[in-house]
Amino acid sequence: MIQCEGLAKAFSRPGARRTETPVAAVQDVSFSAADGQITGLLGPNGAGKSTSLRMLATLVVPDAGNASIDGHNVVTQVEAARRNLGYMPHDAGIYPRLTARENIHYYARLCGLSASVAQQRTGELIEQLAMTSFADRRAAGFSQGQKTKVALGRALVHSPRNLMLDEPTNGLDVMATRGLREIVRNLADRGHCIVFSSHVMQEVSALCDRIAIIAEGRIALADSLPAILSRTGQTDLEDAFVSALGLQPEQDT
Amino acid sequence: MRVSSVLVVMSKEIIDNLRDRQTLFYALLFGPVLLPLLLGGSLAMTFKQLSIDFDTVATLPVRHAERAPELVKFLAGQNVDAVAAPDDPVDAVVSGDAEVVLEIGEHFGEQLRAARPASITLYLDESDKASMRAARRVEALLGLWEQTNNSLRLQHRGLDPTVFDSLDLVTDDVSNDGASGQLLASLLPFLFIVSMTMGGFYLAIDTTAGERERRSLEPLLGLPVARRDIVIGKFGATLAFVALSVLLCAFSVWALFRVFPADLIGGEVRFDAGTVTRALLLALPLAPFIAALLVTVSAWTRSVKEAQTYLGLLMVIPMAPFFALQFLSVRSEVVLMPLPMLSQYLLLERSTLGLPLESLDVLLSVLGTLAASALLVALACALYRRERILA
Repeated sequence: MIQCEGLAKAFSRPGARRTETPVAAVQDVSFSAADGQITGLLGPNGAGKSTSLRMLATLVVPDAGNASIDGHNVVTQVEAARRNLGYMPHDAGIYPRLTARENIHYYARLCGLSASVAQQRTGELIEQLAMTSFADRRAAGFSQGQKTKVALGRALVHSPRNLMLDEPTNGLDVMATRGLREIVRNLADRGHCIVFSSHVMQEVSALCDRIAIIAEGRIALADSLPAILSRTGQTDLEDAFVSALGLQPEQDT
Repeated sequence: MRVSSVLVVMSKEIIDNLRDRQTLFYALLFGPVLLPLLLGGSLAMTFKQLSIDFDTVATLPVRHAERAPELVKFLAGQNVDAVAAPDDPVDAVVSGDAEVVLEIGEHFGEQLRAARPASITLYLDESDKASMRAARRVEALLGLWEQTNNSLRLQHRGLDPTVFDSLDLVTDDVSNDGASGQLLASLLPFLFIVSMTMGGFYLAIDTTAGERERRSLEPLLGLPVARRDIVIGKFGATLAFVALSVLLCAFSVWALFRVFPADLIGGEVRFDAGTVTRALLLALPLAPFIAALLVTVSAWTRSVKEAQTYLGLLMVIPMAPFFALQFLSVRSEVVLMPLPMLSQYLLLERSTLGLPLESLDVLLSVLGTLAASALLVALACALYRRERILA
């Protein structure tokens, strides 16, 4: 269960003078993601998706608002929040000189698993994510799809109830995207709470149980897909999205 | 601090970087082997070329040796055997077939008997080091022979030869060693410090700026691990490489001076196991300092390229005391002792020259260097706590 209420964050430009006003990346983000569901965070580039997820992942401290992971506050109970959350950042890098297995095993050890438990858990993930064919090869030559699987395995290594994926399908080909969707669907069916950010409408509408539309640092609308369509009076998500942002949908002529 | 997570980070970074050829080259080959070989080796070779061993038997091409049998016999007594000379001495020396050629003048015997200067020619090539070295040996021997003859001539005429010695100059070099020893002694801290810096250079960049650049830092910092533990683990891995490269460097300095004995170099400096071990122990507190410096600077930079630029500039720091001490006459003073690098230069130099060390100086040097290292590690941890580290 991931919840957030009125999150806001402003950054000063790198190298900016102290007098310069910071740029507001996130102004008012509230949504909640339930267990067993996939919640899509849909928004254009620069809407504040990554900053919101970083605040939820305890990496950035919000200027205002509250957020919790399974009831653990992300500012005051950082360690507990992290233990219950798997986070795969946008474009996450893996260690090219380590094998897929070593990459995952490293994170397992860092999460406090003993060497033998870490080894066992790594083996399970390799099987679960269908990585056996490349598990013991060094990651230097991996395809984007293989890298994403390793990064996903890393995020899942401490068996968190909650999982946040920041634009995980970026750079993946069609088959890899389908494979990833299937994995995410399975995880949700097993009761995980999943937050999935994307700017691709089609992907969000195909995969997510609930959708939070974010633009210019604010959540414009958050509901299930049918509810969003009926509330905006549109027939597809793209038009609903445009309408939710307060713009005029394209008219058929 | 959780020791287990520090060790996990440390061992991962060590294994990861052992697979990187660049890191390995600089840690295991450049500082420890190539640098001592280049610097020490070329220095030792120079000294070897300049110094003359009068005990080795050499041959000297002599033209018309039959005109000066006594001289030839004298030279043979001084380990220089006359051999037949080529017909054209100039050509032989120019082409390098002979280092020098001695030619006895036509009237050598008559001139000698008549107590006049006896003419003799030495062909040499001033542009050739080997020729000049051979020439100096021959000149020294000829000078000795001349002096003996002069004394005999004077005594023959009832004069005391010392009448002609109006000065009795005694030079007494009060430094424990000549300038060459001084240079060699300051070379040791230089080698140690440069090899430490080079040894940790790539690992420090790879584990901090490199991690940011390949975007593996963000998921790492999102794990339930204290950032301080991650930084200390990375520092530990860098320290391991820094320490390894200074150990290897000390070993290769020791081995190098087995091959080129230091007495060849004319000084009292002996790079035996004792000297090298003492120097290594004095330099060892610098290992955490240099590791901390490398980690802190690369934690502050945003990319590998930026880190290389800053650390490249930083490479001047280990060299600065070396040049300062070469050109300025800095005396070992207590106030300088807490300064990392400079104090090690001063202490190592004194120790290598065999001068006594004050225990207060050593204590201040160790404490000052360790305190500076701790400060730098704390600074690196603070840099990792900034939100901007992810940007």
